[in-house]
Amino acid sequence: MLQRSDSVNPDTSGLSSLGTGTVAAPMIFDPRTDIDPDKDYGTPAPTNDPTPVGELITLHIDGNEVRVPKGTSVLRAAAMADINIPKLCATDSLEAFGSCRLCLVQIEGRRGYPASCTTPAEEGMVVKTQNDKVAKLRRNIMEMYISDHPLDCLTCSANGDCELQDMAGVVGLRNVRYGYEGDNHLDAEKDESNPYFTFDPSKCIVCSRCVRACEETQGTFALTISSRGFESKVSAGQDQAFMDSECVSCGACVQACPTATLSEKSIIDKGQPEHSVITTCAYCGVGCAFKADMKGDEVVRMTPWKGGKANRGHSCVKGRFAFGYATHGDRITTPMIRDSIDEPWRKVSYEEAFSFAASRIKGIQKEFGRNSVGGITSSRCTNEETYLVQKLVRAAFGNNNVDTCARVCHSPTGFGLKATFGESAGTQTFDSVEKTDVMMVIGANPTDAHPVFGSRMKKRLREGAKLIVVDPRSIDLVSGPHVKANHHLQLLPGTNVAFINAMAHVIIDEGLESTTSIQERCDVESFEAWKAFISDKRHSPEETEKYSGIPAAELRAAARLYATAGNGAIYYGLGVTEHSQGSSMVMGIANLAMLTDNIGREGVGVNPLRGQNNVQGSCDMGSFPHELPGYRHISGDEVRTQFEKAWNVTLDPEPGYRITNMLDAAVEGTYKGLYVQGEDIAQSDPNTHHVEQALKNLDCLIVQDIFLNETAKFAHVFLPGSSFLEKDGTFTNAERRISPVRKVMEPLGGLSDWEVTLGLSKALGYEMNYNHPSEIMDEIASLTPTFERVSYERLDQEGSLQWPCNDETPNGTPIMHIEEYTRGKGNFALTEYVPTEEKVTKRFPMLLTTGRILSQYNVGAQTRRTENSSWHGEDVLEIHPHDAEDRGIVTGDKISLASRAGDTQLRALVTKRMQPGVVYTTFHHPESGANIITTDNSDWATNCPEYKVTAVQVNKVLNTEDASEWQAQFAAFTKEQLAYLDN
Amino acid sequence: MSTNELSHLVKMANQIASNIGLGSTEDEAVDKVVNHISLFWARPMREKICANMQESANDLNPIATKALVQINAKL
Repeated sequence: MLQRSDSVNPDTSGLSSLGTGTVAAPMIFDPRTDIDPDKDYGTPAPTNDPTPVGELITLHIDGNEVRVPKGTSVLRAAAMADINIPKLCATDSLEAFGSCRLCLVQIEGRRGYPASCTTPAEEGMVVKTQNDKVAKLRRNIMEMYISDHPLDCLTCSANGDCELQDMAGVVGLRNVRYGYEGDNHLDAEKDESNPYFTFDPSKCIVCSRCVRACEETQGTFALTISSRGFESKVSAGQDQAFMDSECVSCGACVQACPTATLSEKSIIDKGQPEHSVITTCAYCGVGCAFKADMKGDEVVRMTPWKGGKANRGHSCVKGRFAFGYATHGDRITTPMIRDSIDEPWRKVSYEEAFSFAASRIKGIQKEFGRNSVGGITSSRCTNEETYLVQKLVRAAFGNNNVDTCARVCHSPTGFGLKATFGESAGTQTFDSVEKTDVMMVIGANPTDAHPVFGSRMKKRLREGAKLIVVDPRSIDLVSGPHVKANHHLQLLPGTNVAFINAMAHVIIDEGLESTTSIQERCDVESFEAWKAFISDKRHSPEETEKYSGIPAAELRAAARLYATAGNGAIYYGLGVTEHSQGSSMVMGIANLAMLTDNIGREGVGVNPLRGQNNVQGSCDMGSFPHELPGYRHISGDEVRTQFEKAWNVTLDPEPGYRITNMLDAAVEGTYKGLYVQGEDIAQSDPNTHHVEQALKNLDCLIVQDIFLNETAKFAHVFLPGSSFLEKDGTFTNAERRISPVRKVMEPLGGLSDWEVTLGLSKALGYEMNYNHPSEIMDEIASLTPTFERVSYERLDQEGSLQWPCNDETPNGTPIMHIEEYTRGKGNFALTEYVPTEEKVTKRFPMLLTTGRILSQYNVGAQTRRTENSSWHGEDVLEIHPHDAEDRGIVTGDKISLASRAGDTQLRALVTKRMQPGVVYTTFHHPESGANIITTDNSDWATNCPEYKVTAVQVNKVLNTEDASEWQAQFAAFTKEQLAYLDN
Repeated sequence: MSTNELSHLVKMANQIASNIGLGSTEDEAVDKVVNHISLFWARPMREKICANMQESANDLNPIATKALVQINAKL
């Protein structure tokens, strides 16, 4: 970090040679990395500084020579030299505002007292931050603030964390000459409508930090300052309560507030934390870094950590606030067993549970064969835990019947990107979006499902980047405050591949491809074959329009924009993968990026947005039945031998069952035992009838989870799981970033998940010895080339590392495929459009597509046990007004939703987000039965279920007391199973 | 709607053949299907579909059928 010049060692820093103007490498100051993330520098680093790296200017602050990049404010420059100018409205997460005037300074040769936050540092500037005059001015300013502020500091919730209080101390305020009797805001009414924070306007100093955080950081624009002068006040929505406004409860305003005005209710209840531990969020695939603010072993607040390279100090309503599930009364903390699912559970010791489970598994294998059992790893668990489960399956079960929940979300990503680029992962960092000129968002809803990254996208869009949204539904990004898509290609569900082929067709047809990069970087033979294929008229937008519903002219315009607007980045989600041609679509996306030279540098790339926190990691760790860690096929003798030696066991060279195949075999009666860690297939997997039938057929279902989830209701062995707060480990996010998860409290069940797996494995006769998850990571690193240089020590040093991290790239790989593709030459794959077999008929005339909502996470097991349900207490069916009118449906009506697979009942939400003929729901609540409706159609290459296309009929339900047959059965079964817990 | 294991395997084999064989000669397409199924299907799945080729004869598409004959020979 740049310090005052008197503290710099000229021999080592290189600073001594610095004068004005350009200096040579090595770069001595990187405003993004060489700062202390726990310090507030007052204004942001000049990230868009056009000057060359290393070009610094020199100024003098209070006699100290300070060198900073151009564009740095005087306030920030001073802070870098540890001269902390008083401030209130300034904070380094927000652009300078200059309203409080507390940071005023004197600058030689300039008139008056400029605010240091809005004054850029200049070469040769001489700044005085403290003298009698500025001290008096600052005291006067503070005096005005305090004259209209409650003097209840000792009992105030912000006591110990109040910048106003700190500044009153710093400026030496000793009395308030105005008295406290005049007009004031002390009786202003509190807004406690938000379940997580309060708004107490009596303590507000109208610094606008909350308003600016809502705009700049979150991009929601829910807050404003209403009225003028003395009447000025922070207003949510249109003078509404926070909960009634557009506020998305991200908490950026709470974090930005310098007083107690916006305070977490947990802090009001419990007081300030006494220590903090940096860890990684266990919700979506963004992988935000948080400070778990603690009192003893109790988490009192989660604060997004500014040093987190995925989130850069921002968070969403889930990560910041929805952590209460970890200590919810529904947690099951004692191992339980039972002979059949029609019996009450018996609480037992871990040893007894392990022994019971092992004996059953061995018995099954003896009777039905080695292949009759398997396991499922979870994307919610750590890399280390996932690694252990697949190791247990391969080494202790002796087969490769291991799969992971990525099967049902991003397995086509792994397949498609490996086939084209050579590596099963996204190509970029999240930071890369700051250099993007045009982003194409396909089948993803970042503002709901990846909210922190959604905010970063919106920021870049407000700066002028262009946007193409490809989605059957009108997601928030299509049109929002200061964000509007240039093109919304509202295709019919199931026509993705037709769309992506048409995009490529236009680019070839109009000669917009990047011939040079194709010739230099791609397999030319594959390109020529692909070019001949894609040039055919059947792929033209004029043809595909007939069934995709995308107007040809609009698609052509979008293709031109993507190909010619500069850096083009594709972000995609499960709307791409969860189709019968999910893998083809991923390859089509990769083709498009290679075609337009949008791979291998910042601002471009192919970016799968991963649904759960460790989808990438669970795939990396060898959770798929055909691959060992690092995406290496099990049939490869060299790699398999390496693992056999390390694990001291003989491995089966044949691929094992995928989840889908396990369930099919279970229904047939040939598959009898399953170990499921942290996954809820009974709720999350498609065609619930089929899943339930399979689970009922098992003789031994071992579920390891923090709650009695839907799958556990069919289990014979329950092993208590631990939340992310109760264990050490790592998660790998959507940018391949491996981040540490740190234990802040003891596991409620006594053992961390990795220890439970060790116990089970030992009982099965295969002992694994690790004293700490760091040793598991060491083993992973020793066996996986892309993790070669990853260790807990390195993670502690670096904060996080993006794989590949090996001898060639010891600091990780932020951007992939820079010089060449991992596979050498980029491969253009042929992607013929093959329509799904799931077709609308007279009986099922509409298409259902499914998705997520901001406040709830996946199957909802965590978020439903928090106040997040205040926003989304039930799943609803979104339907277009025309379709609703045809059926006499209005918002709030109970409707029946039926497909070839089953039927359920939900409430309707009539909305123009939908296009006619298409309906949408979420799957966060088990009683909704969204997956009763979905079918067992799946991706041709990976068996990823086709959640996104189901032919359905929707009708109004006249007797609102009714439930569907399945829902009635579900309610009865749940009641019965919960009763079995009480014994 | 609960598909049995065999009909699901047949559907999967057909889907692979429809998607993977494109732009290839028939022999190449068959090779690709053989390769894909060998790489990604568990042995019991391959055994099951191969053991029931006659039963599924009318449902399997020609490329899938030829591929399964080759797979069967390797089992």
